Amino acid sequence: MSGASTTQAVSRSVAELDWSARIAGLVGALSLLAAFAAFIVRPGAVVFPAAVFAAVALYGWFTYQAETARSLTFLATASTLVILGVITVYLFVQAVPIARRMGASLLTSSTWDVHANRYGLATMMWGTLITTIIATLVSAPLGVAGAVFISEIAPKSVREAVKPAIELLAGIPSIVYGFIGFVVLNSYMMDLFRLPTTGSLFIVGLVIGVMALPTVISVSEDALNAVPNAMKDGSVALGSTDWQTTKSVSIPAAISGISAAVILGVGRALGETMAATVILANVTTLPEPLYDVFGNTITLTSAIASQYGVAAGRPMQLSALFAAGVVLFIVVLALSIVSQTIERRMQQTLGGEQ
Amino acid sequence: MSQIETQTTTGETEEQIRDEWLEYEFDGETALSVEDLDVFYGNDQALQSIDMDIPEKSVTALIGPSGCGKSTFLRCLNRMNDRIDAARVEGTVEFAGENIYDDDVNLVELRKRIGMVFQSPNPFPKSIRENISYGPRKHGDIDTGLVARLLGRDDRDEEEELVERCLRGAALWDEVHDRLDDNALGLSGGQQQRLCIARALAVGPDVLLMDEPASALDPIATSKIEDLVEDLAEEYTVVIVTHNMQQAARISDQTAVFLTGGELVEYGDTDQIFENPQSQRVEDYITGKFG
Amino acid sequence: MSESYGDERANIVAETSAVDQLAVIPATFGAIAFVVGWAIVFRWISVTDTLAGIEYATLLSIGHLLAAAVLCAVGIFSTTGIVDTEPDDSTGLFTALAFGAIAFIGVGLTASQTLGTGATVWFPTSLVAAVLVAGVVLGVPEDLGVTLPVAAFELVVGLVVLTDVIGPSWVWSPNGFSASFVGPIAIAAFAMVGSLLCVWAGTNASKGFGSRGRELGAYALISTYAVALLAILALLIIFVVQNGLNQVLKGAQLWPFKLPFVLNGYGLQYDVNGIFPAIVGTVWLVVGAVVFAVPLAVGAAVYLTEYADQGRFTRIVETATNGLWSTPSIVYGLFAFAFLLPRIQNDVTLLTGQLVLGFMLLPLVLITSREALQNVPDEYRDASAALGVTQWQTIRSVVLPAAIPGVLTGIILGIGRIAGETAPILLVLVREPFSASTPSVLGSFHFTATAPFITNDALLGPATALPYQLFAVITAGVGASQEFGWGTALVLLCVVMFFYAIGITTRIYFRKKLRQ
Repeated sequence: MSGASTTQAVSRSVAELDWSARIAGLVGALSLLAAFAAFIVRPGAVVFPAAVFAAVALYGWFTYQAETARSLTFLATASTLVILGVITVYLFVQAVPIARRMGASLLTSSTWDVHANRYGLATMMWGTLITTIIATLVSAPLGVAGAVFISEIAPKSVREAVKPAIELLAGIPSIVYGFIGFVVLNSYMMDLFRLPTTGSLFIVGLVIGVMALPTVISVSEDALNAVPNAMKDGSVALGSTDWQTTKSVSIPAAISGISAAVILGVGRALGETMAATVILANVTTLPEPLYDVFGNTITLTSAIASQYGVAAGRPMQLSALFAAGVVLFIVVLALSIVSQTIERRMQQTLGGEQ
Repeated sequence: MSQIETQTTTGETEEQIRDEWLEYEFDGETALSVEDLDVFYGNDQALQSIDMDIPEKSVTALIGPSGCGKSTFLRCLNRMNDRIDAARVEGTVEFAGENIYDDDVNLVELRKRIGMVFQSPNPFPKSIRENISYGPRKHGDIDTGLVARLLGRDDRDEEEELVERCLRGAALWDEVHDRLDDNALGLSGGQQQRLCIARALAVGPDVLLMDEPASALDPIATSKIEDLVEDLAEEYTVVIVTHNMQQAARISDQTAVFLTGGELVEYGDTDQIFENPQSQRVEDYITGKFG
Repeated sequence: MSESYGDERANIVAETSAVDQLAVIPATFGAIAFVVGWAIVFRWISVTDTLAGIEYATLLSIGHLLAAAVLCAVGIFSTTGIVDTEPDDSTGLFTALAFGAIAFIGVGLTASQTLGTGATVWFPTSLVAAVLVAGVVLGVPEDLGVTLPVAAFELVVGLVVLTDVIGPSWVWSPNGFSASFVGPIAIAAFAMVGSLLCVWAGTNASKGFGSRGRELGAYALISTYAVALLAILALLIIFVVQNGLNQVLKGAQLWPFKLPFVLNGYGLQYDVNGIFPAIVGTVWLVVGAVVFAVPLAVGAAVYLTEYADQGRFTRIVETATNGLWSTPSIVYGLFAFAFLLPRIQNDVTLLTGQLVLGFMLLPLVLITSREALQNVPDEYRDASAALGVTQWQTIRSVVLPAAIPGVLTGIILGIGRIAGETAPILLVLVREPFSASTPSVLGSFHFTATAPFITNDALLGPATALPYQLFAVITAGVGASQEFGWGTALVLLCVVMFFYAIGITTRIYFRKKLRQ
């Protein structure tokens, strides 16, 4: 992917250096590689190459600061990519055994049988789908409405107080929501909606939706705020009301940013773990009938969270959990790519007239 | 107009000059009558008790150095200053027999009748056609939506006719008539600005406020806009802010000179202001000694 | 061109008419009913409670009927020209569809549940009803299209509740769902939906319909929602504080200063069990993650922004980091459990926890630092280069200082995020969640004669953390420990909010400074 440009960059920077710097660079790079290899093979031995690397880096900093800085930042990039790459690759590799065993039925089967050692992801994918849909139904329309309120309706003083407050609320840890859902909402639902069991996909979806709401509001508000005032003024000066301006100018101009916000919210809902884990019981069967949103079915994330402890001794089950992780990773990556593409397009359209 | 004969007399006080042009009389009816208008941004006073009558169907230029409040004044005339939170306006602006700062004024109606064109072109990121029909659509005068078509109220022909009329009015028709469905942001700066003028005409205003409409444009586009402004004055009352004195001299019938501090120092026939200003400060400004 | 709309120009002064005052009635009822509806849902009041001798259910239904009557009157006054309004020829498509949807749901539920018809009957029936309603709303002038459907809804709802068809003791168990719906919830739902419709129609009518009426209607609707949202989010925080404060302040005194819940451990030797080990554990987790991730991420951001050729390589890196940033945290936990844990002591350790949180922090800090560096105007770099300064000098003395606020904000918000994370450390950090002792990382460095010459028992031993402790309270089951859980939740909330507040404040501060 990056081969050509990186090699070029490296060879160019090498060519600029004199001999002692080249040797130092070589030693530094080798020692770092050794440290990395040591961590994988024999973690205890990491200290030696790491010490060598630190010495080389210190030497370089005092003699060739510019070159050292450049190499160090390059190494930081490389290490970051390696770390993130290792995580990704490891995830996929670990999922291979269960994929071999189950084939395509890994995604379509709803069995989760510890004794037969057969695991399908359909149940938890369904759970994730239902909770994500409910959460999106909550967070998308309400989030956009909230953003419209802050950006277009509220007076300046209210806006300046509410915007940071909403950003602050985006930081409430999910386990706190989970705790409230577990202690309060579950019994409330059993009481008022006469649910047979504690926990339901509906409550999880609702809680996750509320949780994602501040993020959706905040990001869509940024998008609405980025619409140039001159454009809004142009509409108002033609005698349209502020609301018509919002509907016909601001929202269409910010639509890419708003969709990116909604997608971000969907991503949040997909990946939310703790609220789902503590609210839902560890039920590995599909709800009956399928559309019973008040049923109690595990999600991809809560499956991993509640089962990886017990799966330690069963490689196939652990592998199935990794497969769940891979499914999550792929979906989230796809969402992220879509939202970035949309955002780039928005920059192009809005940047065109500036 | 007796002032035309009067020489610039440094002996005359500013108040006397002011009293004289307050009596300034012009041919035709008054379109806008400004009385004792003060504008504050927070604690800063941007305009100081402005009195001014603007005649209809003519071009009135507002000139002055940057920061003198001429754009602020312009934005007072259709209450665009309402959109700036910190701005506070005192005094009256009379239009169509009503004070536009009364509580029960319908801003939609007001801005339909007093249109505005801004400093830098601000077309909507929509097609040329949609830019023109935006105002009439919002006011319910044109509807080409699915529902209207189903109910047999399709205004497509009216829209076509309106788009052509406004684009011709803004001297843009010949350049864009074959690409009305293209995005307006693809036009050149000068074309965009004329589109904004056409867009303002589509609402059917009486008055057009223009805030340095040519300041972001190249000389050729500027001269096109200037020609257009002179033509428009046959039908509309045009109030134009400009920092370019030659431009004001070329296109306007009346000129008002604002100087630093938000003060309207002199107002009268353009020829008289440029050839024979009353106030020493105005003469200094026009001859380039100041500002 | 002005002659195209005829010579009669509308007056710029708006007419005020009696409709204004009349339309305030449904709008006010809407606002009150909205609050009452929420109060019922929160169980602050019960529908069978009485106010001035009348049950809330009855009061609400009377309100519904009153609103229906007034809206009906407003619509008729307006359309017959008794009062001056400026309605459009047709109600908008969106409004028509919304009313169509309400009709679909209403008719569908009645047909399928009350009359017990099968899908072959109720589906076409309700579809026809929806199309009819939407068509009528579209076809009539705006003043009728806004008021009459809302009045009809209010009338039906009011009558249904008043005649006890849906009363406090009503229960509905739909087929195929585990849940049942009871009367109070239905009455509250009617109150809330009806109130929003009333607020919208009432405010719309009070401006005489038309574009200004629609504006006020939409604004009133959105503002009502926004106030409700803010109230609910505020209630959430108040709820945690209310439940947790007692526990946090248990045995507390000002002088000599004592705050046992925060400053004690958990064990028999303490009079009040506390969460100090968890707080210290969280602090060390965050410190470790920052030490690990920030230099790497900032270094990488500098390389990618300043040195690397902007092109496919940087774009791919960007895509990858964005993807990893949104990867669910539990996936990191799974990775740490299967990959890191066997390699570090083969047991739960603080170091593993630090590393996995560091991995999570890596993409976030990389993204925000890159943004901050890209926001430094190129003119700065050009100006510095034009003075003959080398690239590294420019980066060090011009670019980095200008980007530091953005980088810092990103780090602080990132810390807030990872401090509250539970999922990644679920299985790699904790042996005993309710711990008596705190890890003392600084005091545990020991030099040894054999490789790796330096060890740290605290770093390589288990620890606990605030979010984990909350999780442990939940898994321990409902009971005596719930108080302890609320206290932990409050402290965790304070810690995380503290970081977020600092991060947001610095961002606002530097943005303001940038604009000046």
